[in-house]
Amino acid sequence: MASTPYASAGDEDRTGLWSRRPRFMTWSLLIYAALILWAFISLFPIYWTITTSFKTAVNVTQGHLIPFVDFTPDWKGWRSLGLSPDTISAPSTVRDEFVRRFLNSIVASAGASFLAVIIGSLAAYGLSRFSYKFLWMRNKDISFFFLSQLILPPVVLAMPFLVLYKHLMLLDTLIGLILVYTLMVLPIVIWIMRDQFDTIPLELEQAALVDGCSIWGAFLRIVLPIALPGMVAAFILSVILCWNEYFFAALLTSSNAKTLPVMVASQTGSQGINWWSMAAIATAAIMPLVLVGIFLERYIVKGLTAGAVK
Amino acid sequence: MASMNIENVGKVYGSLAVIHGVSVEIPDGEFVVLVGPSGCGKSTLLRMVAGLEPISSGDIRIDGKVVNDLPPKDRDIAMVFQSYALYPHKTVADNMGFALKMRGDDKATIETRVRKAAEILDLVPYLARYPRQLSGGQRQRVAMGRAIVRDPKVFLFDEPLSNLDAKLRVQMRAEIKELQRRLATTMIYVTHDQVEAMTMADRIVVLRDGRVEQIGSPLELYDRPANIFVAGFLGSPSMNLIKGRIRAGATPSFETDEGIVLPLNAIPAGSDGQPAYYGIRPEHFTLGGPVETRISVIESTGSETQVFARLGQQKIIGVFRDRVEGNTDQVIAMTPNPALVHLFDGASGLRLG
Ligand SMILES: Nc1ncnc2c1ncn2[C@@H]1O[C@H](COP(=O)(O)OP(=O)(O)OP(=O)(O)O)[C@@H](O)[C@H]1O
Ligand SMILES: [Mg+2]
Repeated sequence: MASTPYASAGDEDRTGLWSRRPRFMTWSLLIYAALILWAFISLFPIYWTITTSFKTAVNVTQGHLIPFVDFTPDWKGWRSLGLSPDTISAPSTVRDEFVRRFLNSIVASAGASFLAVIIGSLAAYGLSRFSYKFLWMRNKDISFFFLSQLILPPVVLAMPFLVLYKHLMLLDTLIGLILVYTLMVLPIVIWIMRDQFDTIPLELEQAALVDGCSIWGAFLRIVLPIALPGMVAAFILSVILCWNEYFFAALLTSSNAKTLPVMVASQTGSQGINWWSMAAIATAAIMPLVLVGIFLERYIVKGLTAGAVK
Repeated sequence: MASMNIENVGKVYGSLAVIHGVSVEIPDGEFVVLVGPSGCGKSTLLRMVAGLEPISSGDIRIDGKVVNDLPPKDRDIAMVFQSYALYPHKTVADNMGFALKMRGDDKATIETRVRKAAEILDLVPYLARYPRQLSGGQRQRVAMGRAIVRDPKVFLFDEPLSNLDAKLRVQMRAEIKELQRRLATTMIYVTHDQVEAMTMADRIVVLRDGRVEQIGSPLELYDRPANIFVAGFLGSPSMNLIKGRIRAGATPSFETDEGIVLPLNAIPAGSDGQPAYYGIRPEHFTLGGPVETRISVIESTGSETQVFARLGQQKIIGVFRDRVEGNTDQVIAMTPNPALVHLFDGASGLRLG
């Protein structure tokens, strides 16, 4: 049988397939190994933070890592926040403070992102649809000017902002924080939204004009809905950036408007670092972002990759 | 339904004039095609009519009323764009009903009108779909549907068929024409395709570099082109334009630059020796006769044969119903029908007689 030409041809084919297969498998093995390694590297800090919030001082200093095997989990960190099962119903000043900081963080990031998306979208629409000339600057230069604001380290603005806010009585207010954050994320929002608007053909708006819309009507009824995924993406990105912001929060707030990152950092007391409570606060602080990452990631990707139309 | 007057309309971008005083009068219900080479200002003119582009000079009137400063939404016009410009986030039904909704029609009216338009255009099965789920031809029909649901005063079409394949284009051409007959609405249709212009128009406006070259019915333009531009633009293959001089003599004739004599029936008075173009359409040659040419190439489509040849040094094309055979550089006799010759002035290119 092996001597017939057909069979031998078939055999060759099969060996060809087999010789290809191992190579293919090695490749995917390598790729998966690399991916697993990378996932481990990325996830380890989160794992470490979360487990540390269940450790006592000894476990932290001795570097125990695996709960139930290495060390016995303890609610210590969460208890110090008033968030452990046994303290959750009792009154707790620390918990009240934590909740205040948490709410501050939410209000500051959401408020700033909201403002930035509205203002930024309008600016971006203008940049995408009309030609401006400001001194020697054309649209391209103006866009770059906005983006260039990100190059300057915020430290440069520390003094001016302190002085300005002192006079405006905005120090330690949420409004003040929202305004700085808006300023901080505005360049990114403008950049993203300008890209969005650029992908929407002018003819769509003209069709809307012919169909009976005013210029504002065309913007609100046609352009805005199409650009919505981009706006959502810009909003989420802004929220993440604001949520993590530390510098201005530490600089411009003291008691009233303090946000979570500042509270995390302030866990370094005079008797050393309260690892467990810092870890507990940090865990609570990253949770919202983890949720955002898991549930809203596809909106970000959709919004940023959208060739919005077609 | 309305008449439309375009009176001496001009358009200037910065210091660049792209439309120079164009005047066209369009009676109610007429199908007018604006045709011309790329960049001649067809779209610009149409967009000025729509109100999407400000008018630099002149007037545009709809039903006698000047609309120069009226925004598009108050002109009661409907426009079909080359890219179709369908709203990607709305279904076909919502796309078609959008203008009615903006106008404030109630839901039931919108639905019946959209349905009626969808029936005319065979779009009923697709009403719930989004534009991205449609083929090119279906999108094109939705774009038309969006225009016809409104029953506007004037339809404007900007090269609506240029994104379709050849077969669909022929089919849609007929459908649009039929639709226009049925709706009897004034229509301005822009194209750079002279076949579309010839087959669809009641009247053609030939534009070049922002100027009107000629206005007339398709056959008027074909039979009596006003100048060599129109003569060369309409008809495919285009008219042969042979350079030479008019000779009076006992029987009038035309002498090409190389001294070849071509037949003429009549010449304008006092034109002896005048430099001119001898215009003859490819289908107006007869095989045989005194005029001898040299074959370059012969192409046959089966139904007709195109003979590419040289008359002296000038290239000419003849189209024949009969099969013609021959090799390159072989001599073939084909003679223009003198009754169907057009003469144009050699300097200005304007029609003589
Ligand atoms: N915004 C503008 N600024 C300056 N020049 C313009 C502008 N829009 C159009 N033009 C010029 O006006 C002329 C006419 O343009 P238009 O779009 O009307 O041509 P068209 O006849 O529609 O050509 P096509 O068949 O290619 O669509 C062109 O030469 C073009 O370069
Ligand atoms: Mg055009």
